[in-house]
Formats: sequence, C-alpha cells, structure tokens
Amino acid sequence: MKIWTSEHTFNHPWETVATAAWRKYPNPHNPAVIGTDVVERQVVDGVLHTHRLVSSIWYFPKWAQAIIGSAKVCYAREHSEVDPFARRMILRTINLTFCRHIAVHETLNYLPHPSDSSKTLLKQEAVVTVKGVPLNTYMEDLLTNKISNNAGKGRQAMEWVIKKLNDEVKDLTRSTDEILNQTKKSIDDIASSAKKSMDDISQKAKKSFDDIQNLRPGNFSEF
Amino acid sequence: MDSIGEACNELKKDYDACFNTWFSEHFLKGHTNDSMCAPLFKVYQECVKRAMKDQQIDFHEVEKNLLGTEQERKPPQKNS
Repeated sequence: MKIWTSEHTFNHPWETVATAAWRKYPNPHNPAVIGTDVVERQVVDGVLHTHRLVSSIWYFPKWAQAIIGSAKVCYAREHSEVDPFARRMILRTINLTFCRHIAVHETLNYLPHPSDSSKTLLKQEAVVTVKGVPLNTYMEDLLTNKISNNAGKGRQAMEWVIKKLNDEVKDLTRSTDEILNQTKKSIDDIASSAKKSMDDISQKAKKSFDDIQNLRPGNFSEF
Repeated sequence: MDSIGEACNELKKDYDACFNTWFSEHFLKGHTNDSMCAPLFKVYQECVKRAMKDQQIDFHEVEKNLLGTEQERKPPQKNS
C-alpha cells in the first residue's frame, strides 16, 4: 500500500472552484476522461450527495497488459458531498475496473483557505494498493507516480475551466451591453425617423398652405 | 462531457445545463430544494441505468470489497 498526499491553493473563492469542479471535463489537460454520468444524486440535510460514473481510456505498456489485461476503457466511481453552508466539497473516487488487483482510493477536498477565505485550498490524497500480481510494490510505485503527475494536470484543468467560466460571464456581460446599445440605437433611429417624418409632414403642410395662399383670385382670370 | 450511453448524450446535455444553473444560482446561495431539474434528471438517469446494464457495468461491485477477503484472486500457484 502506498499513500500519496498533496496540497494546492487556488486564487479563487470556494464557490468558483466548486462550480468549476462540476464542469472540469472535458478539458485539454485530461483527455483520458471520456465520460461522466450522474448515477445517483440527492440533497440530504442541505448537503448535495452525488454518485458519478467516470469513464476514462487507459493506455498500458505491453508488459502490463499481460498481467492486467488490455481493457481500454476503465470505470471509476466517484462519491461527492457539497456543503454550501460549511463551504466544503469532498470527492472520493475508487476504480471499478481491475478491482481484484488494484485499488486506487483518491480523495479531493476543497475548502476555503484557512488564512485567506477568498482563496481555496485543495487537499488531495491517494491510497494505492496492488495485490495478487507479481511486482506489486513496483506497480504501486508506478501508479503513485502517475497519480502525482496527473494531479498537476488536474490543477491546470481546473484553472482552465475557471478561466472559461469567467470568460463566459464576460461574454454574457458583453452581449447584454451590445443588446442595450443596439436597443438605444434603434430607439434613436425611430426617434430620428419620427422627427424626420414630422418635419416632412409639417414642411409639406406648410408648402400646401403656401400653395393655397398662392392661389390668388387673379390666377383664375387666366382661365 | 459525453455519457457512456450514446443515446443519453442529449438528455445529459440538457440535464447538465440545468444542474449547472441550479448549482450556482440556487444551491450555493443556500436554496437547497432540488426539484428544479428533477424531471430532466429522471429521464437522463433512466437512460444511463439502461446503458450501464447493456455494457455490464456494475456500479456497486466496488462495495463487495474483494481485497483481503476469500474472494480475492490469489497469486498463481507455483508448479512444484
């Protein structure tokens, strides 16, 4: 059994990070994750509980395929709890594929940073157990290294999603501004064309009036 | 993100969009009533459960906790 732990600080409030965590996939940093499905979800005492099935593609070296088999799509089960009052999000993942030989228990814990609550602290832990195969300690080391490597990618992915979310908000603000501007422009257009028509009408009216005035009696004498 | 069942992708997309709005606009603000997306969740969930059954994915297999029990696969016996 091998235990790996790590901590990371996100310079974003917990609410932003929790929102991004649900929208983490797809991202360009973890292309291996090809599917996420919510299997069960409910709010119990104000806490959101979710069970998700996470599907990913694993590429094993040839020699490992001989031991583990060449299963390409692997499944994992993720149970998460989100407490909006305590500002806590905890996700626990365990692999469903290769359960007989390999157990990877991964825990992600997002909480407000103890010294700055406008930041979010991620505490991460993985427990790797390989049993019933040759070279199990070596395999545990391999997997732990892979997890450590993927953790970095996971953080990059989160930053990528947060940026995307912020951009979406900006886009939304921009399009609202555009709509307002366009509405203002249209109203201006309507006002100016209305004014123009009124001017036209009054001018025409004046002209007609002038014409009538010009119809002096003398003019009739010509007929 | 796609679903494991191709047929569920559209249902998942609709549900995810609803959930994301509910999560940030309601749940994080302390309104924990989750009925807003319930109808979308129901149809999506039925689809996923069917897809899991078709693909023989046992979501609860992990709970059997094979490691360290009698059911755990043993290392191959050495031939004497």
